[in-house]
Amino acid sequence: MSTGSNTPLLEVRDLSVHFTSQGDWLGRNKRVVRAVDGVSFTVAEGETLGLVGESGCGKSTTARAILKLLPLNSGEILLDGERIDQLSDREMLPYRRSMQMIFQDPFASLNPRMTVGSIVSEPMKIFGLHDPADRRLEVMRLMDLVGLNPRFLNRYPHEFSGGQRQRIGIARALAVEPRLIVCDEAVSALDVSIQAQVINLLQDLQQKLGVSYVFIAHDLAVIRHIADRVGVMYLGRIVELASARDLYDNPQHPYTSALLSAAPIPDPASELDRQRVMLHGEIPSPDKHYPGCSFADRCPLVEDRCHKEVPTLGEGNHQAACLLVDP
Amino acid sequence: MTQPLLQVDDLYVEFRTDDGVVQAVSGVCFDLEPGETLGIVGESGSGKTVTNLAIMGLVPTPPGRIAGGEILFRGQDLVGMPPGELSRLRGNDIAMIFQDPMTALNPYLTVGEQLTEVTRLHLGHDRGQALTHAIEMLDRVGIPAPDQRVMDYPHEFSGGMRQRVMIAMALSCKPDVLIADEPTTALDVTIQAQILELMKQLQEDEGTAIIFITHDLGVVANICNRVMVMYGGRIVEEARTVDLFAKPRHPYSMGLLRSALRWDQDTGEELKVIEGQPPDMIALPPGCAFEPRCPYAEAGCSEQLPPLVTLDDSRRHACLVDIDSSSSKGF
Repeated sequence: MSTGSNTPLLEVRDLSVHFTSQGDWLGRNKRVVRAVDGVSFTVAEGETLGLVGESGCGKSTTARAILKLLPLNSGEILLDGERIDQLSDREMLPYRRSMQMIFQDPFASLNPRMTVGSIVSEPMKIFGLHDPADRRLEVMRLMDLVGLNPRFLNRYPHEFSGGQRQRIGIARALAVEPRLIVCDEAVSALDVSIQAQVINLLQDLQQKLGVSYVFIAHDLAVIRHIADRVGVMYLGRIVELASARDLYDNPQHPYTSALLSAAPIPDPASELDRQRVMLHGEIPSPDKHYPGCSFADRCPLVEDRCHKEVPTLGEGNHQAACLLVDP
Repeated sequence: MTQPLLQVDDLYVEFRTDDGVVQAVSGVCFDLEPGETLGIVGESGSGKTVTNLAIMGLVPTPPGRIAGGEILFRGQDLVGMPPGELSRLRGNDIAMIFQDPMTALNPYLTVGEQLTEVTRLHLGHDRGQALTHAIEMLDRVGIPAPDQRVMDYPHEFSGGMRQRVMIAMALSCKPDVLIADEPTTALDVTIQAQILELMKQLQEDEGTAIIFITHDLGVVANICNRVMVMYGGRIVEEARTVDLFAKPRHPYSMGLLRSALRWDQDTGEELKVIEGQPPDMIALPPGCAFEPRCPYAEAGCSEQLPPLVTLDDSRRHACLVDIDSSSSKGF
């Protein structure tokens, strides 16, 4: 399967996804929203890449684009070194077995008219996995693996709590033995104690099965805990990319610093001592086009050149797209 | 002894459903003093929102009803108060802001129309006074060009700006009590920081007492002086924020704090979790609702309801077990 140890499982090169608004009734004043604008990253076998950012930064669009659930404007997506971005839906099918997704809302992403058994076995049917007679046993094995009682095979989603429903979604994703799972805000809707259970489950599964994750969340603490490497997104671009520890302990991009500074810490003593960098203004609309750095308008360290020159991520283990950071 | 600003005493709220009666709030009692911020934390369904809807007289009846207890505001009982009298207090002396400002604002009315409605009703402002006051309030909550924005509709504001409008509206009549139900949960973290800062500033200026409902322990650490932990419709622990974080006494509070993630520290190992699921509010156990998930549970816990006891250091907690001398490993 693998084409050598140096090929990452997933590689995304210069990915762009633009949306065009309808404009007025004559089709005038169409606006182009650059939801994802030149994003590149790799994910190794067994690795977790976290993508973090505020609403509208393009993290969910990136997730959907990786799985080709959205048309790309430009860029390449490589799975095991093979390009999949040009494939038709039919040609894509075998690759879909390698890549699965877990969604934020376990209420909306499970069919209420299907039992857990049929939800989890459906992907097996589509890919013709296992002998039909064995599928029931396989579903029960998966339910046990994700911490659901296999006796509840014939129950419907509404009979489960939010955390349990998320476990059903995880079992469904695992049904085709994928190598990559994209988790889009997979724990955001869950209560704290249940969130911790699901995070532990995802980490356990990674150790047992060697699966890779692209883990998308807005919660900085969750991302630090689960990700090996983290990309911070702002207005459709990755502005900083580094190992989790480097990024959190030594942020380079002013936006990353501001984001961390705004995130509360569950410890009153730390909260009392903190000096906050308050960002002024709001996140600009992603249809606005900047000749220079898109963060320049809100950046506390802005210089003249920031409005003219577009910063790039650069090379190395700790990359930051900021003109003020020494390469 | 002086009377607290707000006093909730032995409050019970229940909802009739097709499956049975949900005991949403059971035996809740607490005081609120002027100028303080009291946090209420707990998981979904723990009764934190319903407690506050009861204070506001907003429990939907039917299916809900206040089944017992008193809510004293400046000594007057709000439970069973005639609707007309309650309306005079609500919005004027006690105001509320909600998680989702888009559904709490009327999309058909300009922000100005909604802001002036409150002050014309409660403060007897005429149209001109009310508009001037509305613009002043928008300015105070940090909305740029308030004299123009006052003519805009809610959809023309961003999420953070809408929450500022809600705060402006809630504070228009200088209420004594502000109930904030997850006011920053739907906001991005940089915007959340702005709104928390704004609330602290306004509280300092006006001396408003705030009840802050949240599930985010980081937000509690940031803004609350005192915190109440709810589980299964009951208060399981109450303490000053610093004391609770330093040494939680109830096993549930302990588990909750242990499972809270910090972005500023490498946890490395596996997360500590509270096993199991929150209780079924229709069939609450006769004893402690947390007993099935509690690593410290002892023989009596499933039968006897633990009373909420106040200790000499003015902390309260409801647990039969002495955690310090328990032989359990805990979480």
